[in-house]
Amino acid sequence: MNDFVWLVRREFWENKAIWIIPACIGALLLVAALFGRIEVPMLSAAEHQSTTAGVLLLVAVGVVFWVPMGIYSSWYLLDCLYADRKDRSVLFWKSLPISDRATVLCKLFVGVIAVPAVYFLVADLSALLVAGAVSVRERAVFGDVLWRPELWLQQQVIWLYLIATSALWYLPVAGWLMLVSAWAKRAVILQAVLPPLAIILAERLFLGTHAFGGLLRDRLFGGGYVSLHHPIHWSLSQAGPAGTTPGVWNLPDPQGFLLSPQVWIGALVGAVFIAGAVQLRMRRADT
Amino acid sequence: MSSSLIQARGLSKRYGSFVALDRADFAVEPGRIVGLIGPNGAGKTTALRAVLGLTSYEGELSVLGREPFRHRAALMREASFIADVAVLPSWLRVQQAIDIVAGVHPRFRRERALTLLAKTEIGAARRIGELSKGMKTMVHLALTMAIDARLLVLDEPTLGLDILARRGFYDALVNDYMDETRTIVITTHQVEEVENLLSDVLFIDKGRIVLDCAVEAIAERYAAVAVADGDLAAARAQRPLYERRLLGKTLLYFEGADHEKLARLGEVSVPSVSDLFVAKVSSERAS
Repeated sequence: MNDFVWLVRREFWENKAIWIIPACIGALLLVAALFGRIEVPMLSAAEHQSTTAGVLLLVAVGVVFWVPMGIYSSWYLLDCLYADRKDRSVLFWKSLPISDRATVLCKLFVGVIAVPAVYFLVADLSALLVAGAVSVRERAVFGDVLWRPELWLQQQVIWLYLIATSALWYLPVAGWLMLVSAWAKRAVILQAVLPPLAIILAERLFLGTHAFGGLLRDRLFGGGYVSLHHPIHWSLSQAGPAGTTPGVWNLPDPQGFLLSPQVWIGALVGAVFIAGAVQLRMRRADT
Repeated sequence: MSSSLIQARGLSKRYGSFVALDRADFAVEPGRIVGLIGPNGAGKTTALRAVLGLTSYEGELSVLGREPFRHRAALMREASFIADVAVLPSWLRVQQAIDIVAGVHPRFRRERALTLLAKTEIGAARRIGELSKGMKTMVHLALTMAIDARLLVLDEPTLGLDILARRGFYDALVNDYMDETRTIVITTHQVEEVENLLSDVLFIDKGRIVLDCAVEAIAERYAAVAVADGDLAAARAQRPLYERRLLGKTLLYFEGADHEKLARLGEVSVPSVSDLFVAKVSSERAS
């Protein structure tokens, strides 16, 4: 456990971008909130609509962080078992009494849990600051819309839920990236991207189908459909009994997620890739 | 199992069709300083990588009673190594390097590392990337010497360093580290520089061990005779390993020959480790 903490700390020392990128995004948002023009027509509308505006603002802040986080996390996973082989510092790390399995699992943890958690914390802080700035500037029309505890609580729950489910959903992607990272002697990005492209092309050429491409698309972009209730379903449930606050409480679908075979087949594939990455890591002392 | 620290039997390693190690047998006893000496591509680094658990292999190998490839992490609690020059990661600060080794290594003594570093005048806040190659090596040596290891493996630890840095490295090693509880295995191109340090030599060529001998035993088993041209035919009849023309005389190297007989042919001396190496490898290749 102690070793694990040191290994995670090491990753944060090496990869300062884990903090710097979200901090920059947060700073930009804050600058925009402080000096930009604020034009949200819904804000001046009726009560329930302005609540929706509050939700929208939080969601927007979330998306602004979520996309760069996905890109950075992918890059991190692709680089993490390659960079130290490239500069040969792997020969130093391997002189420490840390098993290759512990190293790989720690880097996986950083990529799929720690990085999203950092973005979450920074997004949270930014949302607070942005909401504060907007409320001060637009006191008259904005009122207390942004300062509802329920809204914040929803934001936290959704983030944490999405981090947890994404970690599981994207395990095969993360595993693949780590496998390539442990394998490649050069050009990691190409080696990560070309094999799936080759499979898609070969399938189209020889079989005339595109099952693999579909599978890949669903995996990369379809996580939300499995972990969340379908948006239509959600909007229907919103329109339920009159007077209920529209909210995101009904959005997560943990039961559907955990019962989805797609999730567990993907996790299994991910586990195989990660086991492969450990084996390669044991055998490759440099590039 | 024997009392040897390292015991290799039939150690083999192939890279494709290239045989890096070809059924090598060797043993290293506790308390010795062993020089693993061989030309480029002879298999030195492969042998040491196998000993350190950095590569898979065929054959039998036991290091400190363990199978190194499967149990590298456990082995690294009692063995340490410097493989190649300047492999500390450039983003790491000296202080962080000390912290992380102290954090994960049960036998690391922080005060000792600090004492050793104080002698080098390298500040703890410095980033490894800012240091000269020689300074990086001294930081790495300080970290390694602060580990209470039973076995220290050095693979070309001074390659590319200037003569001052090389001298500093070996002086520190001998004066501040070596005692009867430790064992060192070292490879280097600059045989002359470590010659006086070594208690044993292991010559390796084309993946095979061609000589395994204590330095004290060299004088008994080997002799160099400076023969004048007139006696050359008689001297060659004694089946020398190797001969070398030098300033009007011919130096002939003998293995296991009668010293009294040799004395009649010319002036007898004990060959240096580097001369013996050349003689032994040349004769092995000729046969």
